[in-house]
Amino acid sequence: MSTATKAIGTGPGAWFGHIGDSLVAMQRGYRTALRRRRGRTLALTLIILLGLAYPVLHQQFLAEFGRNVFPLPLPDDTVMTFMTIFAIMAVGLNIVVGFAGLLDLGYVAFYAIGAYVAAFLASPHWAALGINLTFMGHVGPGAQGVHIPFWFILVIAVVVVATFGALLGAPTLRLRGDYLAIVTLGFGEIVPLVFKNLSSLTLSVNLGPINIVLENVNITGGVQGINPIDPPYLPFLDIVFGARSGPLAVYLGIFLLAVTVLVARNLQYSRIGRAWMAIREDETAAQMMGVNTVRTKLLAFALGASFAGIAGAFQASYLGATTSDFFNFSTSILVLIMVILGGIGNIWGVIVGAITLTYVNATLLPYLGQRVQDSALPLPNPAQYNFLVYGIILLAMMRFRPQGFLPDRQREAELSVHGLAEADAAMGVPVELDNVSVAPHGQEEVGPDSRAAETTDEARDL
Amino acid sequence: MDQIIQTLIIGLANGLIFALVALGYTLVYGIIELINFAHGDVFMIGSLIAFALIAPPSVGGFGVFELTTATPLPLMIVGILITLAITMALTAGLNAGIERVAYRPLRHAPKLAPLIAAIGMSFVLQNVGVVMAGSNQRTIENPFPTTNLLSYIGITDITLTVSQVFVAVVTIPLLFALSWFVGTTKQGRAMRATAQDPAAAGLMGVDINRTIAITFLIGGGLAGAAGVVQILYNNVTVWDLGFRFGLIAFTAAVLGGIGNMRGAVLGAMILGLVASFSDRYVSANWTQAIVFGVLVVIMVFKPTGLLGQQLADRA
Repeated sequence: MSTATKAIGTGPGAWFGHIGDSLVAMQRGYRTALRRRRGRTLALTLIILLGLAYPVLHQQFLAEFGRNVFPLPLPDDTVMTFMTIFAIMAVGLNIVVGFAGLLDLGYVAFYAIGAYVAAFLASPHWAALGINLTFMGHVGPGAQGVHIPFWFILVIAVVVVATFGALLGAPTLRLRGDYLAIVTLGFGEIVPLVFKNLSSLTLSVNLGPINIVLENVNITGGVQGINPIDPPYLPFLDIVFGARSGPLAVYLGIFLLAVTVLVARNLQYSRIGRAWMAIREDETAAQMMGVNTVRTKLLAFALGASFAGIAGAFQASYLGATTSDFFNFSTSILVLIMVILGGIGNIWGVIVGAITLTYVNATLLPYLGQRVQDSALPLPNPAQYNFLVYGIILLAMMRFRPQGFLPDRQREAELSVHGLAEADAAMGVPVELDNVSVAPHGQEEVGPDSRAAETTDEARDL
Repeated sequence: MDQIIQTLIIGLANGLIFALVALGYTLVYGIIELINFAHGDVFMIGSLIAFALIAPPSVGGFGVFELTTATPLPLMIVGILITLAITMALTAGLNAGIERVAYRPLRHAPKLAPLIAAIGMSFVLQNVGVVMAGSNQRTIENPFPTTNLLSYIGITDITLTVSQVFVAVVTIPLLFALSWFVGTTKQGRAMRATAQDPAAAGLMGVDINRTIAITFLIGGGLAGAAGVVQILYNNVTVWDLGFRFGLIAFTAAVLGGIGNMRGAVLGAMILGLVASFSDRYVSANWTQAIVFGVLVVIMVFKPTGLLGQQLADRA
């Protein structure tokens, strides 16, 4: 663990070294777990191996069985790929909401930007403007439009989306709690609208010698969106990871997910991860201890956003098309529910949340709907009411298990400590918790300093 | 010039409907610091109830108080009043019920919990809307005569319709009634005290739970009234109306300074004007983006809103 908690150096070299360290640490951690909790570790390993083998098993045997013998609610390739896409987003949103404690209700904006980056850089879209640029792509030279390999697009998407994350975050991060939530929600609405509406831009700018005239330029493809987008392509092995490539695309998704998990874990246990936690628990105290709160929050925002950029670029390349309709508020909320359901702050928890919810949404509910239709019974179609199900899940979770199914150990402990304080406060016993004292009737009061009282308020946020 | 005045009239009429919904947000935020995400959907349910009461069976309503252009005036007034009363009572009860079931158990939970519960409640209500009226838009015929009232005083370039006057006639008395209630009655004083400091108000003998419940009742009632006005003025409702409308109304509340009732009305009027001018002079496609742009700019430069005071830190 000591290797993983080292401060991050600078430059890409340090980063790769860091990831190497963390792989070694993971290996060591696995051996320890195997020694200490043998049964549990072996069971988990088996589950993960089965999960890895499942896409091939499904393609070879199970799909056939479902078609010919008896229909089972089994996820197919598309659903599995979307499981990985949503898991990547859940891991990213978990950085913002779980680690840093900033409620982002407009996460879909970054997903959309990532998808449109891929659309702009790997489709014939710009041919209409006479821009043609092709290199090292799946598409041969001389093709219409811009065609850049998926792997470069991934990097570009991360950079672009992180930049947007920082740009959108910079003015809003001074806001606290639910004001931040509502501004991010606003961005989440604006960005897809921009993609939807920028289909005919007419602009004429005349700045002395520079004269820019755009007439009816189609930038984003409007309601139709942009297609076809080149699928991810591995040149030397000549493999295409498109919507028709079956399990291959799933494995690419799993690979991307593994990379994001590795990065997220590294961040969590790094200096910056601890700074996020400090800010989440008590922003003022963290500031007093020398944490640059604005910079730290901005990093959480930008890094969390870049994960959605990966997910968006992968999704657009995988599907081969993108439209603005795909990106709306309910997607933001869906990812948030995944994070909450799985357990805010716990990477493995949110992945389980993402897989479960994608499964329920894309396979189980439509399956049940089909069965209801086949049975011709006068029952409501469950696929129509998926958001009713989510609504009830949210309400029930907040009421009975706000920490999620696989909560982060640290956050759970914090929750229970606060719960203790509340319980004692209700009985009229002032409780000392480090520097926070809770007076009777839940009304915090720490000395004469009003800022301190505000601090405890902050501690109760999130 | 005529166009500008015309756009102004449309903007003010829309602003008044926004104001009714925005007040529900601001009242609730003022008292328990919760963005009641489900509030827009309570408004949507209100408009569906009104639709069911008003619309004739031919377009899918029950036509209990069927209002059409053929309805005689006294009957129409009575019909509208009864519809208002029923809808407001139902949405007030609904809103208070939501508070009782979803928010009250979470009052001492971390602050994120009730916000997420509110989002969950919003989804539930939207599905209730789908069950009530299906997933397509429901429209009624405009029951008001389309004569231009200004033509009686010799102005024909600018149109002021009966339905626009109707919006003002319903909305403005409600705003004054609310101002009177919160400003002068004993219960209103309890509300203000609770908003200022719940614990101290509790020690002074204010029944906090009852006060919060009454706040939700009032907010729900206003949302119901807005729903009735919406269906009679814009003649259309749909299950996701509450989300879009609610976001604009919430933006209005924030713009005016959340927790401040006059601010909510002011913010709603400004946003009504912004929206109508953007519809007219930019493009209806961009209106929503412009409204949120206004929200972001306000949040960045004056997070307390136009008339708000010390609330920025509490948020």
